[in-house]
Amino acid sequence: MPLDISFVREQRPEGQIHYFSTLGSTMTAAAGLAASGAPHGTVVIADEQTAGVGRFGRQWHSEAGAGIYCSVIMRLKLPSNGLPVVTLLLGLATAEAIQRITNLSCDLRWPNDVLVNERKVAGILAQLNEDSIVAGIGINVNQTSLPENLRTPATSLRLAAGGRSFARESLLVALLDSLDEFTAMLAEQGPESILRTFTAASSYVTHRRIVFEGNQGPNRGVTLGLDDNGFLKVRDESGLVQTIYTGGVRPDVS
Amino acid sequence: MTIEEIKELIRVVQETGIAELELQRGENRVRIRTNFGIGHEVVLHHPEAYNAAAGGVAPAAPVSTQPAPAPEDEKDVLVKSPIVGTYYDAPSPGAATFVKVGDQVEPGKVLCIIESMKLMNEIEAEIAGVLVAKLVENGRPVEYGEALFTIRPN
Repeated sequence: MPLDISFVREQRPEGQIHYFSTLGSTMTAAAGLAASGAPHGTVVIADEQTAGVGRFGRQWHSEAGAGIYCSVIMRLKLPSNGLPVVTLLLGLATAEAIQRITNLSCDLRWPNDVLVNERKVAGILAQLNEDSIVAGIGINVNQTSLPENLRTPATSLRLAAGGRSFARESLLVALLDSLDEFTAMLAEQGPESILRTFTAASSYVTHRRIVFEGNQGPNRGVTLGLDDNGFLKVRDESGLVQTIYTGGVRPDVS
Repeated sequence: MTIEEIKELIRVVQETGIAELELQRGENRVRIRTNFGIGHEVVLHHPEAYNAAAGGVAPAAPVSTQPAPAPEDEKDVLVKSPIVGTYYDAPSPGAATFVKVGDQVEPGKVLCIIESMKLMNEIEAEIAGVLVAKLVENGRPVEYGEALFTIRPN
């Protein structure tokens, strides 16, 4: 079923929402809108993406009518070095919205994969443009199956909730509300509030055995917490403390 | 911790290319952060470092092992990273690089991506000119303000 966009617009009357039944990528469309001056909070949402992208142009599986595929334009007054914390904010806001609507318990895998039972239910990517951030958020909502050969095992909220389906409209409204709340938190209480909240919400930030991508290939270590920028500190196998700026981390199951 | 040991640690940092190293032995703690192309910042935490009579290690000023890359020509312009992150010279692994040395670039031309925690930052040329140097290796961490490219304006 196509998204009932009028419901979303009623709930969020102040926001600019651009809805498409099918679109190549919401990221590309939103970047275009941002370049032409679209305001903070502008949303691009599609029922289906034919060229949904993840990190490094990896494909994001975007089955028609089953998920939320959206990009949000954010204009924040932050110094450029304060921007990466927005990545954590996006993860927190997405997890919060999912928990509010589904009661499923979410974990956050640094920097912002949203997991339910160790499987990925949402992926987030952000693009920094000249004077805005375009945040791409993909949530697997009502898929009854997902490809098996993904880098991280995936699930949908429906599969995780034992077959119960969820109204994408309600989840989208909750997501946009939750983004507003965490953005206000960052503005009013500063980046430490986001770091603290993320640390409490994620099982990956401290005392977690992980595999990460070092400069010389995969490396193993134990997480030691976030630094002031939100980067992940890890003590590697040789006892050195390293700071991870980029890339995914994986649980060390060895 | 002796000066020799600290030098050895700096060598390890250089050879492995890691961004930051912190080591604690008893009450001695040393932290080495790399600013690729700019040099190394060594911060020593030593309870006796400020007591010369103890014969300990002198308070360490930042140790610079490499000079900052100076523009070869006075008119050359350095493009610097606005953010701490990882440098990528292509939009995806295996794809053609955004730019090559010798390319003519125009304002707005994407030169590279700096990724910081999945926040992708496309770095664009601000002036027209010839790209005369790429200063960072693909996949390397970069510091705030670190020089990435040299452009000779035309």
